[in-house]
Amino acid sequence: MYAQAFFVAVFGLAAIGFGVVVFRTSSMMRSALALLFSMTAVGCLFLAMQTEFLGVLQIMMMATEMSIMAIFMVMFMMDPGGLGGMDMSHQKRFSIGAGVSAAVVAIAVALLSDWGPAAEQVVDAQAQTRALGMELLGRSMMIFETAGITILTAMIAATAVAIPVKNLSSKDGKEASE
Amino acid sequence: MTMILILALVTGAILFGIGVYGALSQTNLVMIMMGVELMLAGAMVNLVAFWRFLHPEAYSGQMFVLVVMTVMALEMAVGFGVAIARFRAKGSVEMEEAEDLKG
Amino acid sequence: MTVAIVLLALLGSAWLLAVVEGWMATGRLSPAAPLFRGLAHLGRESIVPRSPDRVFFEAAPVLLLVVAVLGMAVLPLAPDLIIADLGTGALFVNAALAYVLVAVIMAGWGPDGAYAMIGGWRFLGQLIAYSMLIVMPITAVAMRAESLVNTAIVGSQAGLWNIVYQPLGFVLFYIAAMALAFRAPFDLPSAEGELGGGVDAEYTGVRLAVLRLARLTLVVTLASATTVFYLGGWHGPLLPPSAWSLIKTLAVAVSMLLVGHYLPRIREANLMRWCWVLGIPLALLNIIIVGLLILVVP
Repeated sequence: MYAQAFFVAVFGLAAIGFGVVVFRTSSMMRSALALLFSMTAVGCLFLAMQTEFLGVLQIMMMATEMSIMAIFMVMFMMDPGGLGGMDMSHQKRFSIGAGVSAAVVAIAVALLSDWGPAAEQVVDAQAQTRALGMELLGRSMMIFETAGITILTAMIAATAVAIPVKNLSSKDGKEASE
Repeated sequence: MTMILILALVTGAILFGIGVYGALSQTNLVMIMMGVELMLAGAMVNLVAFWRFLHPEAYSGQMFVLVVMTVMALEMAVGFGVAIARFRAKGSVEMEEAEDLKG
Repeated sequence: MTVAIVLLALLGSAWLLAVVEGWMATGRLSPAAPLFRGLAHLGRESIVPRSPDRVFFEAAPVLLLVVAVLGMAVLPLAPDLIIADLGTGALFVNAALAYVLVAVIMAGWGPDGAYAMIGGWRFLGQLIAYSMLIVMPITAVAMRAESLVNTAIVGSQAGLWNIVYQPLGFVLFYIAAMALAFRAPFDLPSAEGELGGGVDAEYTGVRLAVLRLARLTLVVTLASATTVFYLGGWHGPLLPPSAWSLIKTLAVAVSMLLVGHYLPRIREANLMRWCWVLGIPLALLNIIIVGLLILVVP
């Protein structure tokens, strides 16, 4: 139990630390990769809480997603290297207030409520994966299928929004944006 | 065990708070999306902690986490598509300039 | 003890692969060459670019090596010779190999140089192509084994190897593995002739030695993954199980080098087109066929 508490604390602190780095650094690449390592720490937190499938899935997905976010930052932001030292934020006091109050309210609820008896053991990873698969394709089949259709719709929508508008009047426009 | 539950909940709360700060204070669309990602990560940490310590027999908790992960990926995809379209139209994705519905 | 044996096997396989690579490049078979080349790298001057991003510049080769070793840690050499027999081993291999992308992007951005950066972003283009083709054949393999545990996956191939059961999956996984390790013909990120070395360009001295070792180890890890998923792992008639694993792994790794030696480099625009238009429908077809075979054949 103490080993688990130690690892949960370590990975939690790592996630929070990298999360703070995301908004403190002025280099955009460091920001994106700090978010990546924060998500990896959250994935390791899942592993420390004995949900192996979710932890491995989180680690895998976030590596790819955050790297793609990194290239989008380099494409769209003015100072990806961060050497200019500009401060790109607005309404600072309001947002710090909102963030701190949200965190404080959540921590207060966590500390003050009575959670009841906490489960000591869970089944091992193989049984969990099997049970999750049974749940996914048995009771929650509707949710699974809806998620699949939603993913397809989002893919089509994102592609449709992102392709350049073709010039309908001339033939060269059509071939140029091929 | 309850101590570990509270540790995880506090971590989730702080991650959520950092995400709220980021989403509200940043002017660039990509940075706002990073704030939203942190908020969703905080929510996922709470969900997994509740599953593990309070209801380990109900696998719909893990199902919820899968759905939230899917939502994270999808909103990033659609958000970046919108960012590309905006960048092509206006030349920047600064949200301070996005005040009008027109254009 | 197990850790030491597996790491030693990994290092030995990387050494043999370096010898074969030298043989293909120069025509001479010199078994001690990797040691001398490694020592020469350590002795050379370590040039650091003018204004690198220090964190990324230092971390990228180390991360690549850590990823390769972590991937090997969940793959079995024999029924009891596995560092960590995770409950979701097949997925963990994929998760560890996703960090190759992070390492290459760091290596591309860190040195603050044009060629390195182009190489790094080209690898992202390759990732879009190969990442589905790595996961879907693993799904079909796990379907046959009815488990994600790597030892169970090898155990399910006791009667018939997966390369015979799912040949389509094997071809797709092999191609995607070569694209992941950015070996020729998919080596645009570090194109030797074209990009001045790409992501390898700005590294010298100790860091280059670590980077080269990491790339070879990555090929060995991927070859070991191919062996575990498709070639029946440690099953074989006469020799002990670990010997069969090593033989199969080295055969796959050397074949990857040979295929790269004889094929021209592929642009990632063409790679993306072929993988998405042809590869993903074939991977889905593979899953359907495997599902039908599992349900129908007793």
